[in-house]
Parts: sequence; structure tokens; C-alpha cells
Amino acid sequence: MVQFNLPQNSKIEIGKHYQDKTNSKNIKKVNVYRWDPSTGQNPRVDTFEVDMDTCGPKVLDILFKIKNEIDPSLTFRRSCAHGVCGSCAMNIDGVNTLACIKSHTDINGDLNVYPLPHLKVVKDLIGDLTTLYKQYESIKPWLETEQTGEEKAELQQSQKDREKLDGYYECILCACCSTSCPSYWWNGDKYLGPAVLLQAYRWIQDSRDGDKKERLRKVADELKLYRCHTIMNCTNSCPKGLNPAKAISSIKKMLATS
Amino acid sequence: MQNKNNPLSPHLQIYKWQISSLLSITHRIVGVINILAITIICFFSLSLLLGEESYQIINNFFKSFFGKFVLLGLCWTFSFHILNELRHLIWDLGYGFDLKVAKITGVIVLIGSFILTILFYLIGKNIF
Repeated sequence: MVQFNLPQNSKIEIGKHYQDKTNSKNIKKVNVYRWDPSTGQNPRVDTFEVDMDTCGPKVLDILFKIKNEIDPSLTFRRSCAHGVCGSCAMNIDGVNTLACIKSHTDINGDLNVYPLPHLKVVKDLIGDLTTLYKQYESIKPWLETEQTGEEKAELQQSQKDREKLDGYYECILCACCSTSCPSYWWNGDKYLGPAVLLQAYRWIQDSRDGDKKERLRKVADELKLYRCHTIMNCTNSCPKGLNPAKAISSIKKMLATS
Repeated sequence: MQNKNNPLSPHLQIYKWQISSLLSITHRIVGVINILAITIICFFSLSLLLGEESYQIINNFFKSFFGKFVLLGLCWTFSFHILNELRHLIWDLGYGFDLKVAKITGVIVLIGSFILTILFYLIGKNIF
């Protein structure tokens, strides 16, 4: 069911304002979404004044600076800090991206940081991705073959067939695309979403896979696949520059022509 | 996560509009308007069967400033829907998914819809 407004317990309140104590002239105001499960209060947006002269270039550097110097209770996921793991996916300046590769110099004015949209918040900037992972599991993201494991020969793939996976295997499953998609917001429990469909296409395309027909049959569903209306928010937000919209269209095309 | 009391993170409230998403929602709204418009045009045609008088009532409405505004608005909604639907058909063939291309075609559709509207208006002017 489409619900445009936030539920009562999710309405955002005005939070604390942390004034700058360093007397720096190069200050950036950073508005961060906060929610603490232990207080039972509504989420709020805290404003931090951050001294940019002593801060690294990326948004993740700002978050670390806040955590280290201003409020150690700020909670966010991060791991590699180089755009490879996809842990620090969040909504920065209105668009989903990875905090570790987004330059704060690209953003004029105040910096707004929110968790990925339309997810249950676990704490502060951490959203609950359980549904997405379950959907990912449902498309069987592994090779389905006739092999028993006893064979001595490798499963071989020509260079040409391998190239078919380019632009799809690079996906790091950060969920930026899925949580940017309005269709996924309204039908996230049934519609698979761009990230999972891109993965589905990656396995359908794999020449070594023996289950192509079954994979296509399973994904061909009014809700699972055809809730994509080519809004293109997914492609706009992908921090790795991939094109989920194109992958979904390729699946639709395969189904239409097979 | 079992806790049902966890808040929902903001979505529409914070997400920045992209040209693609803006055109997509406009396409939907305009589609609904067009269906209503076609229905009304059908009733308008039917009313002709009831004689000249009922025709005059509607004709007077279309001659008023508001009526003209509605007609011009419908010219735009139909132009926009036709052009953007073409864009969707090209997407369905598997072309135009590149981010830059999609943005350019989006702008073309938007500008094109206004040009078509003006064309419709001028053609209408010449005939009447």
C-alpha cells in the first residue's frame, strides 16, 4: 500500500545543535539523522558545526570527525572506506551514494545525511536490509550446474561470454539503487528491486549456468519484475556507475523474445 | 529485526528529484488526465445528438478564457504523453539507457511537448 507520509513514530523532530568550539573560519553545518532505540523517542536531526580545515575530503571523513571529536554515540556502518565494500551507503544531499567516495566539496551549503530511504532504522544511519538479502537469496546467486563436484575438468567460459558480465559483476550490493526506487518503496515486500534484478540478470547471462530457463521463469512475475517503470533513480544513484535499469529492461526483453 | 517500533527512514521527504523521476511521475499524472479528457470528449460528442442547444453550452465554455486554458492544457498533456511514450517504447527496445542519453531525451521530450502544443495551437488558429 502506498503511504506517502511517514508513520507517526517516524516523524522527524529538531535535534541538538553542536556549536563549533575551535573558532575556525571554515565551518560546514552537517545535519545528521539520529535515532536511538533505547530512548523510545522519535527520530531527530542533529546539526554539527564541523571545522573543515582539519577534515578529510570525503563525507565519511566528516562522520568520523564527528564521532571522534563531537559525539561518540553517532552510529554508521563502514568498512573499507574505498568504495569497494558498500557498507557506508546512505542518503547524502538527497541522493543515495557511498559516504566514502562522495566528496563533500561537491556539495554547496549545509550537508544533509540520512539513512537509506524507506527502511526500518536500526540506529542512526543504519537501515535494516534483511528483506533485500532474503530477496537476493531467492534468485539463487550461485552457479546451478549438472556437475556433481567429482569432475576433474573446469567449467570454461570464452572471453566473449565473459564480457557479457561486464557492467553487472561489479555490483557490490550496497542497496543504493533499490532504496532510491519509488516502486521499491511502495512494493518492497514483493518487487525485487533494481539491485536484486541486476544480480538476477548477471546469473541469467552467465554462459556456465545451466538453469537459465528456470531463472527467467521465476523472475517473470507482475510484481517481482514488472513493477519497474523505468524511473531510472537506480541508475542515477549507483555509486559504481552501473545501470540496473538497463539490466531489468534486458530481462524484460529476453522474456518478450523467448 | 523483530522490533516493529523502529521508525521508517524518510523517503519522498528527502529524496532529490531527478529529471528522470520527475518526467516519470508527470507521465503517470498526465496519463490519468488524458483518460478523463477522452471520456469528456466522448460525452461532448454524444451531446451533439441532443441538438444544437446542448452543443452551445459546451461551445460557450470552450470560448471562455478558462475553457481555452483547459483546451491548451490538454494539447500539452497529449503532446507530452505521446513524446514520452515514444521514449518508453525506445527503452523497451533496449536503447537509450545510458545516463547521459536518458537525460538528453528527457529534456527533448519536455521542450518538444511545448513546441507541439504551440503547433497545435497555431494549426487550430488557422482552421477556425
